[in-house]
Amino acid sequence: MPEIKVNHLSHTFGKNTPAALTVLDDINLTFPSGSFTSIVGTSGCGKSTLLKMMAGLFVPSDGEMTLDGDVINGTDNRRGMVFQQDAVFPWMTVAKNVSYGPRLRGASRAEQAEIEAKWVEMVGLKGFEDRWPRELSGGMRKRVDIGRVYANNPDVLLMDEPFGALDAQTKERMQSDLLKTWNQTKKTVIFVTHDLEEAIFLSDRIIVMSARPGRIRHIEEVSLPRPREDAMRLESEFLDIKRKLWGMLEH
Amino acid sequence: MKNLLRGRLFLGALSITTVLVIYVVVTNQPDNNPSLLPPISLIIGSFFTNLEAGTLLDALSASLFRIFLGFLCGTTAALVIGCLVGWYETVEYLVDPLIEAVRPIPPLAYIPIVIIWFGIEEFSRVLLISIACFMVCVVNVIAGMKNVPKVYVDAAATLGASRIQIFRTVAIPAATPFIITGYRIALAAAWTTLVAAELIAAPNGLGYLLQEGRRYFLTDQVMMIIVIIGVCAFSMDRAFRAIQKRLMVWSEARE
Ligand SMILES: Nc1ncnc2c1ncn2[C@@H]1O[C@H](COP(=O)(O)OP(=O)(O)OP(=O)(O)O)[C@@H](O)[C@H]1O
Ligand SMILES: [Mg+2]
Repeated sequence: MPEIKVNHLSHTFGKNTPAALTVLDDINLTFPSGSFTSIVGTSGCGKSTLLKMMAGLFVPSDGEMTLDGDVINGTDNRRGMVFQQDAVFPWMTVAKNVSYGPRLRGASRAEQAEIEAKWVEMVGLKGFEDRWPRELSGGMRKRVDIGRVYANNPDVLLMDEPFGALDAQTKERMQSDLLKTWNQTKKTVIFVTHDLEEAIFLSDRIIVMSARPGRIRHIEEVSLPRPREDAMRLESEFLDIKRKLWGMLEH
Repeated sequence: MKNLLRGRLFLGALSITTVLVIYVVVTNQPDNNPSLLPPISLIIGSFFTNLEAGTLLDALSASLFRIFLGFLCGTTAALVIGCLVGWYETVEYLVDPLIEAVRPIPPLAYIPIVIIWFGIEEFSRVLLISIACFMVCVVNVIAGMKNVPKVYVDAAATLGASRIQIFRTVAIPAATPFIITGYRIALAAAWTTLVAAELIAAPNGLGYLLQEGRRYFLTDQVMMIIVIIGVCAFSMDRAFRAIQKRLMVWSEARE
């Protein structure tokens, strides 16, 4: 059961130098197995830093994180991450990007083809399998990124503003697809976003962070029933949560 | 696009023709000294004389052999060492100061020591070309490895790639534009060094024919060899560019 725990985690960039910058301060969180949690907070409050540490890309200066009780130390394929920046490999076609993870672990040609077909379709890029990333728009590249992580089938999905570059319709479709996938697989999802509506629509729980240093300001439980429908976006309960969180993010 | 290409070909041909026309006009002046500026007919004549005598093909094959061997050895060493230095920090700290210290020395400065150690042998000439290719190439390979965008490395790592898999599937392809540029510069360096090495110490080769031309005052032969070297170096570079274009289909900047 993929449960992530964050214990007394603090992080300072450039510790013991004049330019030291404390980004995260004493963060304590539990992400239960199969839960969907969003993190919101102003720009620069340390959301990406927190996510990268959970992925195992670097070590916090204090405290620790555990996955099912084991301290996270280094990267592995159990925690997949969609980066805020464009991370599609430009030297691989769309299909080869998507099947990159399974190929690393020696998937056969047939298995790769099957994975490619399934996930390219899932992220709505059918017909673009053999294109180079330079031939795609920014939003399409983001979808390749997402497909590549989905296709790798991690237990925990760390997503750093994955839908930020998409137009409203594609975004809503990707959100519904994400919920569908999550429903089928019950992965633990940790989702960073600037979009409150997106956070409310998707999550069981929303973590609001404050900046400099990054601390947890508030945790909002979202009790809207599942499966979530697009119509819920206009219900008063939904809008109440939005208003409340909006006020917290203001000042 | 087609118009542009035609315009480009036209302009290129125009500049070459202009130079040729000026040369013809100058050499046709009544007071021109043909042993300083031989007319084009003499240069072409020298080409056929040397071709029939077999000296030209002998020299060409000797020189091309040295180029290929030296280039192959030099760039292969540069690729291996450059990758290690650029990717593994321990190796970098160990080897980089050495490369940086040796890099500013022009390859031709090694000619005396190479001759003292190995004599005026084929090995010495190939070694010099290898050194020249290595030096210019290794710098590019290292730069390529150092410029691999971090987000690609991070993405591969979170998809479960091991360090060596990241090297193979991310670092090498991301660095190819730099590596190919290094190879192209190395090829140019190979030609420079070849001629110099053959001028000083060789019983055959294009540089030797140049030297012979100077000694016997065969200016037409000297001119002819210069043109041959130019044509060879140019066509090899073109071939390389074609390969580069093939390998770089994925890249936004393909030139
Ligand atoms: N490698 C680094 N070295 C030094 N400082 C860093 C580094 N990475 C991030 N920071 C700093 O840490 C702070 C938090 O960065 P982070 O990227 O986590 O913010 P964020 O919450 O993701 O912001 P955004 O919403 O804009 O993406 C920023 O002030 C940034 O300048
Ligand atoms: Mg961020």
